Amino acid sequence: MTATLAAGATPVMDRLISRTVQKHRPLSVHFDLTYRCNERCVHCYLDHDDHGELTTAECLKVLDDLARSGALFLTFSGGEIFLRPDLYEILAAARRLHFDISLKSNALLVTPERAARLREFGVRRVQISVYSDIPAVHDAITKVPGSLQRTLAAIPILLEHGMQVKLACPLMQENLMAYRGVMALAEKLGVPYILDLTITPMMDGSSGPLAHRASVLSLLPVLRDPALHACKPQPSAAAASAVNALPPAFGSAVSSGIESLAYEDLPCSAGHNSCYISPYGDVFPCVQLPQAAGNLRREKFEDIWYHAPQLERLRAIRESQLPTCAGCEIRSYCERCPGLALMEGGDLLGAYERACALAEEKARLAGFDAPLSAFHREREIASIQTTPEAEFASLASDSGSD
Amino acid sequence: MSTPAAVSWQKNPALAWREIDDETVIISPNDSVMHELNDTGSFLWKNIDGKKSATELADLLAENYEVTPDIALSDTQALLEEMSSRKLVVTVPAGGGVSP
Repeated sequence: MTATLAAGATPVMDRLISRTVQKHRPLSVHFDLTYRCNERCVHCYLDHDDHGELTTAECLKVLDDLARSGALFLTFSGGEIFLRPDLYEILAAARRLHFDISLKSNALLVTPERAARLREFGVRRVQISVYSDIPAVHDAITKVPGSLQRTLAAIPILLEHGMQVKLACPLMQENLMAYRGVMALAEKLGVPYILDLTITPMMDGSSGPLAHRASVLSLLPVLRDPALHACKPQPSAAAASAVNALPPAFGSAVSSGIESLAYEDLPCSAGHNSCYISPYGDVFPCVQLPQAAGNLRREKFEDIWYHAPQLERLRAIRESQLPTCAGCEIRSYCERCPGLALMEGGDLLGAYERACALAEEKARLAGFDAPLSAFHREREIASIQTTPEAEFASLASDSGSD
Repeated sequence: MSTPAAVSWQKNPALAWREIDDETVIISPNDSVMHELNDTGSFLWKNIDGKKSATELADLLAENYEVTPDIALSDTQALLEEMSSRKLVVTVPAGGGVSP
């Protein structure tokens, strides 16, 4: 039997995803260390209070558990991670446990000294939210004057210290047409970017952030923009073998960013080989799927991961068996998220208005003649069937009042 | 030029890696390239500890897998050289520490 070494991100990653999905191994974990933040973004789905964050010792125990369970990709996020005074201690532990470490940050607190420490602790990639290249637009969203200037000043520092930087730009009413500026900024800095059309309800289900969501109609110019579809960079040989070298223009700023055809008939990676851990130790399938499967203060990660009924139910879902969406003729244009289906439509297995409306517009742009989602078709049929009765009832009520 | 069989080997401490179901995935943070070791490669990887030489690693391989000592040594040396060329492992100088 010969010992072999294979390289190249795409084939290795596809095999890894296939294996981990098949055996339900927790490959990728998003760990929010705090919900406290030094920005107050208008669309944020978190509250910013400390309701009893995991202590340093508890965080280190979680990392031990995760490493033992086979997790490799670890993303620390928040809130703002630099508000954790024990950040370096946690990163040092993650480093000792050989995790591949990414961070999500607004980068306001990055200095050359802090960047050097991040690198020392093996941080490979930092994702930074940038809402616009125009200070007034960005700062109006973060509600921190001067925040764009400080965030942008941090990017070259991180790059100089050998970390990859990725810009994430959630698009909402306030910055809808700013995406071109963010694209140009990313190009100038030589870093990838992602445009996220998703604005989610708060984690407690309240709908405040949705007031900032751009309507599907107002998104049409963005969806139609040829710059987002036609000018994808060609991979160099080196880039083609690197992890996530060519991210798509659109995507989720909260996901791991690990895409693969290996997910096949699954809605996404949530609960299959990825999960989310809150600053309080709650384990969720995803930050956008607020069904806690257990708490790490009371249970071991492996017990939750392999035995929680919430995760088992999620693992049984197949896109091809969804009651409404399976038969949808424009399914390939849809980016249905099970978490949003639950939060917005009340049903993990169901369709929801936003996904259907976006899919219809995307299908129309792709040349479909009058595309109609299965969800809207069902609703149309139901409305036709109920109309005569409703009209009769209305007539009867009118005649009764004469 | 091949590395003498008596030299000790150590994992590059900058790497992220995990053994998942008998196979090991390694990521080099500088170039983000992913590498994958099969089960015998993973066995050797687990035993690379900064103290063992190629000969000692090959002995362990021969003890644990159905392979002759000669083949074990040539396999082990080939894997170490390949991993070294990709900066996944480094040799340890006689006095300890890690050579670049």
